[in-house]
Amino acid sequence: MNGFSVAVLISAGRHPVSGAPRACRGDVAAMAMGKSLVGDELRVIHAGKRDEPSLQDYMAYGAGTIDVIELAAESDVCSALASSLGEVDLILTGGRAEQGLGSGLLPYLLADALRRPVLANVIDAKIEDGGAGAFEARVRQFLPKGQRRRIAGPLPLVIAVHPIAASQLKYAYARRVSGRTEILSDLSASNRAVGPNWTVEMVPRRPVRLRAQDKKSAHARLLSAIVSETKGGVVAFEGTVVDKAQVVLNYLREHRLVEF
Amino acid sequence: MSDAKRVDPRRPYRMASSGLRRIVLGEIISGDRLPAGEKLSSSTRSKPLRTNVAASRWHVAIAHSYRGRLDDHAREAIAAAAILAGPETGVIAAVLGPFLEDAALLGADKAVVFPELDASRFQPQREAATIQALLDEYQPVHIFMPDNILGDGDLGRRLIAKNGNSSATHVAEIDATHISIPWSAGSILAGAPLPRFVLLQAGAVDSNLPFLGLGEQILCSGAMGVAEDCRDLGMECPEGASIPLEEADFIVSAGNGVSNVATLEDLARSLGAAVGASRVAVDDGKFPREKQIGASGKTVSATTYFAIGISGAVQHLQGIKVCRHVIAINRDPGAPIVKRADLTVIGDAEEMMQALIARVSQARAQTEAAEVEE
Ligand SMILES: Cc1cc2nc3c(=O)[nH]c(=O)nc-3n(C[C@H](O)[C@H](O)[C@H](O)COP(=O)(O)OP(=O)(O)OC[C@H]3O[C@@H](n4cnc5c(N)ncnc54)[C@H](O)[C@@H]3O)c2cc1C
Repeated sequence: MNGFSVAVLISAGRHPVSGAPRACRGDVAAMAMGKSLVGDELRVIHAGKRDEPSLQDYMAYGAGTIDVIELAAESDVCSALASSLGEVDLILTGGRAEQGLGSGLLPYLLADALRRPVLANVIDAKIEDGGAGAFEARVRQFLPKGQRRRIAGPLPLVIAVHPIAASQLKYAYARRVSGRTEILSDLSASNRAVGPNWTVEMVPRRPVRLRAQDKKSAHARLLSAIVSETKGGVVAFEGTVVDKAQVVLNYLREHRLVEF
Repeated sequence: MSDAKRVDPRRPYRMASSGLRRIVLGEIISGDRLPAGEKLSSSTRSKPLRTNVAASRWHVAIAHSYRGRLDDHAREAIAAAAILAGPETGVIAAVLGPFLEDAALLGADKAVVFPELDASRFQPQREAATIQALLDEYQPVHIFMPDNILGDGDLGRRLIAKNGNSSATHVAEIDATHISIPWSAGSILAGAPLPRFVLLQAGAVDSNLPFLGLGEQILCSGAMGVAEDCRDLGMECPEGASIPLEEADFIVSAGNGVSNVATLEDLARSLGAAVGASRVAVDDGKFPREKQIGASGKTVSATTYFAIGISGAVQHLQGIKVCRHVIAINRDPGAPIVKRADLTVIGDAEEMMQALIARVSQARAQTEAAEVEE
C-alpha cells in the first residue's frame, strides 16, 4: 500500500484522420504517469459507454480492469465523476479529448467541484511523503521556450498531463484480450449537461478571420494598395566594430532581450 | 543632352488637409519636404478613435505580458474585444505583468496593469482572485483571452470553472453573434452562440485596427492575502544550446558568411542562445541537419533571432516568420535580410562576433559587479 490512491481518467480517442477508435494520446501519457507512481494499484476510469471500442486499446497499454461509469451520450460527465471520485487522492487526466468539443476544461471543473487544486501541462510527477499521512506531489510543468517550472502541490490534487510527457507503455495484444471492464455505477439516467448546443457543420472549411471594418476614403484605399510597406529596420554602417557591437547590445537592452 | 525641360519629381509640395500632396507651381516652399519616417508615423497616429461615447458596458481582454509586451495572440484578443464592442461599450485590457506599450494602439480604452502578476511566477489563485475582482467590478458582457500555454489558457479555464455557465475554448472563428471551434480538433467546424468567456486560438482575429482606443493606463497591485495551495519551486532554465530550436527564445543563426563555427558557438554561449543555421551552412557540413532553419528545415518562434552571414533567402525567412526581433550581421547592405531585420549591422561576421563577445562579457561582468555592490 502506498497510503494514497491514484486514478486516471481516460476518454474515447479517435484517430484524427481515419476516425478509427484508439486510445487518446494524452490520456495514455496520463496513464503512464499513474503507472509510474503506483504501478498496478492505479485505477483506470472511463465515464461513458461500457462498450466503447477504444477501451480495448487502453487495455493493450496495460490498463487491466477499467472501471466504467455508465453515462448517456449527453449527460454531465463532470458531476458524475465528482460524485464517484471524492475519495481518490490524486486524479490524473489528459490535456483534452480527441473527440468532439475537447475544451480541456474537465480537470478544472472537476477540481472546482471537488474543491482541490489543479495543475495543468504537467510532464512528470512524483509523490513525497510529508509524514503523518500528508503527501505532496512534486511536478514539472511544461512551458514554452524550453522552460520548465517545478511545483509542489499537496494531495488531494488534480493533475492534467501534457501530451509530451514521456510514456514507456508498451502495446500488447494479449493484454488487449485479457482486459476487462467493470461497471462502477450506472448514471445513464442522470441529468443532461448544461451548455450551448453545438451545431456541427457537414463540410470542412477554413474559419473566417474577424477583421475590423475599415471605412477608408477611396484615396486611402488606393494608397494602401499601391504603396507597399517596405519594412526594414535600422542599418548601422558607420563606426568601428566596437561601436557596432555597442549598437547591437543597446538594441538588446532597449527591448529587454537580455538580462544584463 | 537635350534641352527638354526637366521636372523634379520631388519638387516642393504642401500637404492638403485631405492628406493629398498639393503642388503649387511657381510657389517656393522652403524646407517643407517631410522626411519619410515622419510622414509614416503621423499617418499611423492619425487613426480615429473607435468611439466618442462614454462607456456604459464593458468588454474585457485578459493576457499575460512577456518582457513588457503583449504578443500577437494577446493583441488579437484585445482586437476581438474592440471590434465586437458597440459604441457604448468600452474595452478594458487587463495585463498581467509589466506593460510598456501604448494601449491605445491595441484598441484598448483602459489598460489595467498588474505588474506583480507576471507569467514567470506561479500564483494561479492570486491571479484568479485579482481578475475575479476586476470582473465583479466591471461586470463585462464578454471576456476574451488568448488560449495559449503561457498561462492565459490556464487562467481562463480557472475563471470559467469558477464562473460556470457560458464559455468556449479553442475558438477559431468569431463574430458578433456566434463562435466556431474545430470539432474533434479537425477541419470540421462546430458553431454556437457567442458565449461570455471566449478563449481564442491564434489567428482567429486580425489585430490590425483602423481605430484607436483611449489608452488610459491604470497601475494596480494584485489581490493581497491569497494563499496558494501549491508552491512554486522555481523555473528550470536549460542551457541555451540544449533547448530544442523550436522552443528556444533566443537563436543565434549562422549562414554562409560564417567561417569560424567556434566563434559563433562562443557568441551563442555568451548570449545564452540556441544555435541555428541556414541550409548552405548545413550543406557545408558545419552544422548537423537538425539545426537547419527554413522551408526545408525547422520553423522557429524565438523572440530574438540573430542572423549572422545569412542573406535572407525566402526559403530561410519562411522559417522565422513569427520572430519578433531580427538582428542581422552582413557584409552586403543590399541583402534581403536587411529588409526583414529590425537592426542590421554592416560588417565582417568574424570581426563583429569577436567584438560582440568581448562587449557582452564586459557588460555582464559590470552588471554582476553592480549587483554584488548592492
Ligand atoms: C526548395 C528549397 C528549399 C530551401 N530550404 C531552405 C531552408 O529550409 N533553409 C535555408 O536556410 N535555406 C533553404 N534554401 C536555400 C536558400 O534558397 C538559400 O540558398 C540559403 O538560405 C542561403 O543561405 P545563406 O544565406 O547562408 O548563404 P548565401 O546566400 O551565400 O549568403 C551569405 C550571406 O553572408 C554574407 N557574407 C559573406 N561573407 C561574409 C562575412 N565575412 N561577413 C559578413 N557577411 C558575410 C553575404 O553578404 C551573404 O548575404 C532552400 C532552397 C530551395 C530551392
